[in-house]
Amino acid sequence: MRTADLFGFGLKALGGARLRTALMLLAMTIGVAAVVMLTALGEGARRYVVESFSDLGTHLLIVLPGRSETTGAAPPIMGETPRDLTLDDALALARGRDVEFVAPLMIGSAPASNGGRQRDLTVIGSTWELLPVRHLRLRQGGFLPKGDADRASPVVVLGEKTLKELFGNQSPLGAWIRLGDRRFRVIGVLEPLGQSVGTDFSDIAIIPVASAQALFNTSSLFRILVQAKGREAIPKAREFILDTIRARHEGEDDVTVIAQDALLSTFDGILRALTYTVGAIAAVSLAVAGILIMNVMLVAVSQRTQEIGLLKALGATQPQVLGLFLAESALLSILGAISGVLVAQGVIWGVARAYPAFPIAAPLWAPIAAVAVAITSGLLFGWLPARRASRLDPVLALAGG
Amino acid sequence: MRAADLINHSFTALRAGRVRSFLTMLGIAVGIAAVVVLTAVGEGVQRYVLREFTQFGANLIAVTPGKTETFGVSGAMVSNVRPLSLDDARSLERVPGIEAVVPVVQGNAAVEAGRMSRRSMILGVGSRVPDVWSMHPALGRFLPSDDFTAARGYAVLGSKMGEELFPDRSALGERIRIGSESYRVVGVMERKGQMLGFDLDDTVYIPTSRAMAMFDRESLMEIDLLYSAGLSSGPVAEQVKRHLKERHGAEDFTVVTQDQMLEVLGDILGVLTIAIGGLGGISLLVGGVGILTIMTITVNERRGEVGLLRALGARRRQVLILFLLDAVTLAGVGGLIGLGLGIGLALLAGALLPALPVSISWFYATMAEVIALLVGLASGVAPAMHAARLDPVEALRAE
Repeated sequence: MRTADLFGFGLKALGGARLRTALMLLAMTIGVAAVVMLTALGEGARRYVVESFSDLGTHLLIVLPGRSETTGAAPPIMGETPRDLTLDDALALARGRDVEFVAPLMIGSAPASNGGRQRDLTVIGSTWELLPVRHLRLRQGGFLPKGDADRASPVVVLGEKTLKELFGNQSPLGAWIRLGDRRFRVIGVLEPLGQSVGTDFSDIAIIPVASAQALFNTSSLFRILVQAKGREAIPKAREFILDTIRARHEGEDDVTVIAQDALLSTFDGILRALTYTVGAIAAVSLAVAGILIMNVMLVAVSQRTQEIGLLKALGATQPQVLGLFLAESALLSILGAISGVLVAQGVIWGVARAYPAFPIAAPLWAPIAAVAVAITSGLLFGWLPARRASRLDPVLALAGG
Repeated sequence: MRAADLINHSFTALRAGRVRSFLTMLGIAVGIAAVVVLTAVGEGVQRYVLREFTQFGANLIAVTPGKTETFGVSGAMVSNVRPLSLDDARSLERVPGIEAVVPVVQGNAAVEAGRMSRRSMILGVGSRVPDVWSMHPALGRFLPSDDFTAARGYAVLGSKMGEELFPDRSALGERIRIGSESYRVVGVMERKGQMLGFDLDDTVYIPTSRAMAMFDRESLMEIDLLYSAGLSSGPVAEQVKRHLKERHGAEDFTVVTQDQMLEVLGDILGVLTIAIGGLGGISLLVGGVGILTIMTITVNERRGEVGLLRALGARRRQVLILFLLDAVTLAGVGGLIGLGLGIGLALLAGALLPALPVSISWFYATMAEVIALLVGLASGVAPAMHAARLDPVEALRAE
């Protein structure tokens, strides 16, 4: 028998019991579709996180005050140190050869008011460099003025949500708002960026760092963001930062430098592992579908005993009968896998249209792996019934019925 | 037919097609086992996290500066135009129902003892930490209850800090330097472990006012309150709010009770558990399709039997119930096997991987078994109806 004959025979056998075939296909479809959809969801989450991290900036080094001695322990995310990171530290870092931009960062909260409207805001004190470092875009007006970081000019750039809460539909440019006990002139509005990891950039006010120092009555910076000149420059830039700060802080290593890329790859790894796990859990259902195929094939073998006996009496060899039944299981799992992938792609397409912001997409390996697992389980579980069929004694089979 | 007869009949039918029934049940069992194992892990993680949170005692209220609705780091913790002051903390002691107050400032500094030096977390706290955070000194005592504004230079070490700085002798009575100030060690805390990334053993506790001076800040990061055991958190939190509002003239702070925090956490983790249980449910669904397939085949094969039963006077309802019961038995027994399998696997995983918190949730296990029965019922309906509708004459002739 040729291969084409094998599969033609299988197709006919499957067509003979339509309902049963449809149900088995349904089981396979559910399994394969679940694997593909869930991995697509995991992959989407991974891409989402990666994208929001690259919104934070590329080739970025974050300098935090304070350091913990224990290696592997969490860096001091918050908290104070006896010797602050100061604006002068930040300006000294800007002189590095591998450093592209340096943006000092202060953060705090203050009540903002415009006329009768009041709202508690997160206030960020920084310089013009924050714009390129954090990939911010402006919708209206300009950003903080370039130049002298020590100048405390009373200007503010508002996030999109802040703008709505404080101004409603009025035009904000040129208007004065009150932050704490000081007045600031609105010079720009940020393009909505959405929630990027950590801070909600739509609900903030950005003011010059010197103004923030006066507003919060402190000279210590929360972070210094340093953008290196390229991926290769990151280690050298880190070296330079540590050396500079040590020299300025009387020989003490009292800052932590985190590379954005390192942080990103950690998240990337975690989410990848999560995707694999979720995919594997869904693949359990493929095993269940395989069990079903085995069950039904066993039933089919016992129902078709006479037919097998006839085939054998006509001279079909054991391998040929084995091949016949294996072909049938293989057909079932291949067809089920194909329809599962199609269903999954349909759902993914629908989700992608409904939520364009969420980058859902099945990774290339997912449908391939799902189909491979489906076919393997079909063949594996089809083996036992096929072997039973091939071992039937022709005489007994013909007579027994 | 009596109920006993019905059950007897379906077990006989199951035994007649032994391989077939076994495989069908196996399908359901794998699904149920997946649900049980996954919810056991989910439940374990949930308990683990809640235990982490409650190890600092119940009856806690935290006051943080700035008005925030969400959890997470607020800019207000760092700097603030309207600070929470030590005076605020002291005045909260007078609120009825409040038993103890701990004003908190956190930072990072080098700690030196002789030639040893170590950088780590510095917590500026009050004297009531043993009561409020329910952690106690293993050696010596905690900070004395000095006046908030004129605290003496005493320090208490976390257990790891004590080992690192004084590896060969007792830390009690020794002098250490933090920043540029000198402190005398009066106690070493018992081992407490990590809490959400903060290693409380690698910490030095000093009086709040001294920490504020060292870090040059005027505002507290948090005030932790312990209220009397008999009271419920809501009214106490309300009173704290009213009291601080009177002092500040506006609500520029956030009051979170531990109950609220636990509730939110419990909700999030509960949803997660249900979600991963649902993942396992996919296999259960496929198992249900398996029952449907096999029942369809069975009904087809037993046409003659159905015809005979009907000819002998069995009513449609009885035939329907007969086949439904078949399906439910398949699912139910499969579910029980799955329960055993799942519980065994979960216990095994818990024993092999001690780091993985596993806790079998009987609620979800019972739910899984109920769902298995329902799946059996649902997938039995169509074939059973088909059997019941068979025309007795036609069915008999098919034999």
